[in-house]
Amino acid sequence: MGQFLDLALFLLLLATGYVVGRVIEQRHYASIRLRERRYRDVLAFPMRFTPDSVTPQQAFLVYGTVVVSADYFKTFVAGLRNLIGGRFRAYETLLERARREAVLRLKENARAKGARLVVCVRFETTSISSGWAPAIEVLAYGTALVPLSADVRSMAPAAAASTRNHAFELSRSLPGTA
Amino acid sequence: MKLENRLPAEGTNASQEHPLKEFAWLAGGAIAVVVALVMVVSYCAQWIAPRIPFKYELELARGIELAPTPSSENARAVQAELQALADRLVARMELPRGMSVRIGYHESGVVNAFATLGGQAVFYRGLLGKLESEDALAAVMAHELAHIKHRHPAAALGRGVAVGLMLSVVSAQLGRTVGGNVLSQAGMMTLLTFNRDQERQADEEALRVIAAEYGHVGGALELFEAFMRLPPAGAFADKSIPEFLRTHPVTAARLQAARDWASENGKALDGPRRALPQAIAAAATRKPKRPAQTERPAQAEAPCANRAPCAIARRNADRLRTAAIAADARLRDPRWKDRRAAKRLQRPLE
Repeated sequence: MGQFLDLALFLLLLATGYVVGRVIEQRHYASIRLRERRYRDVLAFPMRFTPDSVTPQQAFLVYGTVVVSADYFKTFVAGLRNLIGGRFRAYETLLERARREAVLRLKENARAKGARLVVCVRFETTSISSGWAPAIEVLAYGTALVPLSADVRSMAPAAAASTRNHAFELSRSLPGTA
Repeated sequence: MKLENRLPAEGTNASQEHPLKEFAWLAGGAIAVVVALVMVVSYCAQWIAPRIPFKYELELARGIELAPTPSSENARAVQAELQALADRLVARMELPRGMSVRIGYHESGVVNAFATLGGQAVFYRGLLGKLESEDALAAVMAHELAHIKHRHPAAALGRGVAVGLMLSVVSAQLGRTVGGNVLSQAGMMTLLTFNRDQERQADEEALRVIAAEYGHVGGALELFEAFMRLPPAGAFADKSIPEFLRTHPVTAARLQAARDWASENGKALDGPRRALPQAIAAAATRKPKRPAQTERPAQAEAPCANRAPCAIARRNADRLRTAAIAADARLRDPRWKDRRAAKRLQRPLE
C-alpha cells in the first residue's frame, strides 16, 4: 500500500511540476519577448572599450540579476538524462530565460539612470542548489555610459522609443561626438 | 560604426521541442532498461541459488526462526501431526540428499501457509479451519514441500538480494528523488513471492504426491474449491486481475489444470477421503482468540513468504543512498566552494 501511495505522490508531484512549470515558463517567455521590444533603445555590447566615436562619458556599473529554479518535472527528466548524457533540454530553456531576463533587468537599470549604451557586458552564472532541485543565479553586468555634457532628461525613454529605427549612428545621435 | 541590438533568435539556445517528448523517451527507456536488468539478474540469481549446497541455506536459515516451537499443549500436538503428515509425504518425494523438512505452526487466524529457507514450512490455524479432509491438507502440504524440494526459497532469496542490490544502485544513480524510490520499489514488488512457473511446478509435484498417497486427486480439487469460496482479501485477490499479473495462478485455472493433469495421467478425480488428524481437526473448529488478521491476501501463500530478501535489499539500498548523500554533501561543502572562489580571485584582473 505504501508503495502505491509513493507512486501516486510521485506522479502527482510530476504532474504538478509539469503543468505549473510549463505555464510559468510560457508566461515568462511572453513577458521576455514583450520587454525585449520595449527596451530596444538601450544598447548593450560585450566589447571592452567604447567605440572610437564616443566622446568622454560618465560611466558607472549597472547590473541585472535573476534567480530561477527548476521544477520537479524538469529535475526528474534531467536526472534520467544524466544516465545517458546528451542535451539537457529541460535546463536549456531555464538558463536561456535567466540570461535574457538578466539582460533585460540590466537594460532597465541603465535606462533608469539615463544611459542608452552599456559596454563590456559580462555574464556570471552561479548554482544555488538548495535541496535537490537545481536553482541558478544569472548576473549580467556592464558599464553604462551617459554623455558628460548631455542633459540626461533629454534622453527620455519615450523619445528614444519613438525613433522608428532602433539602430543609430553613434556619431550622429550621441552628442559631442567627432 | 553602426551599433544595433537585434532581438535574440528563438530556438537556437533552447530547444523548442515539447518537453513531454523527451520525458516519454527517457522514462520509457529507463523503465525498459530496469525491467530488462531485473529479468536478467533475477534469472541468473535464480539459476545459481538452488545450485548452492543446502547446508549453506540451513546456515542462513538458522538466523531466521520462522517456525518456533508453539507454547501451548494443543498447538504442540497440532505441530506434531503436521510434521507426521509431512514426513509421510516427503517419503514419496525423493528430496535431495541432506535436505530435511521442518513444519512450523502458528495459532493465528490468517488463512495462509508458506515455505521458506532451510526447509521450513509454516502453517496457520486459519488455513486449517478452511479444510475438511486430510486429503486437502496434504495437497497444501505437498505444494509447500515441493517448493522446498525444488529450492524455490533459495532462488527467491538469491533473486531478492541480486535485484535489490541492482535496484539500489539504480535509485542511487537517479539521485534521492521520489522517482528513484518508486523505480526501486517497482522492482521490489517482483520479489515478494515465488513466480508463476515455480507455483505451477509446485502444483504439479503436489498432484503427483497426493495421487500416489491417496490414489486420487480429490484433495487438491477440494482445496481449490475452498479457495474459490474465500472472500477476496487484499489488493491482489481481486478476481478481475488477469493471471499474468498475479503470482498465484487464478484458482479456477489451477482447478482446471489439476483436472487436466489427472485425466492425462489416468488418476481418479475423487475417491474415499480421510478425516483430518485429531488435534488438527480440534484446532480447526476452535474459536480464534483474536479476530483474524486480514492484511494478508487469503491464499495458499501470501507475499509474506520471503520477506528476508526484501529486508536485505532495502538495507543495501539505504546504505548506498546514505553514501551518495554523504558524497554529495562533501561536494557542496562551502569550504570547498570557497577554495574555488579564492582561486578565481587570484587571477589577474583584466
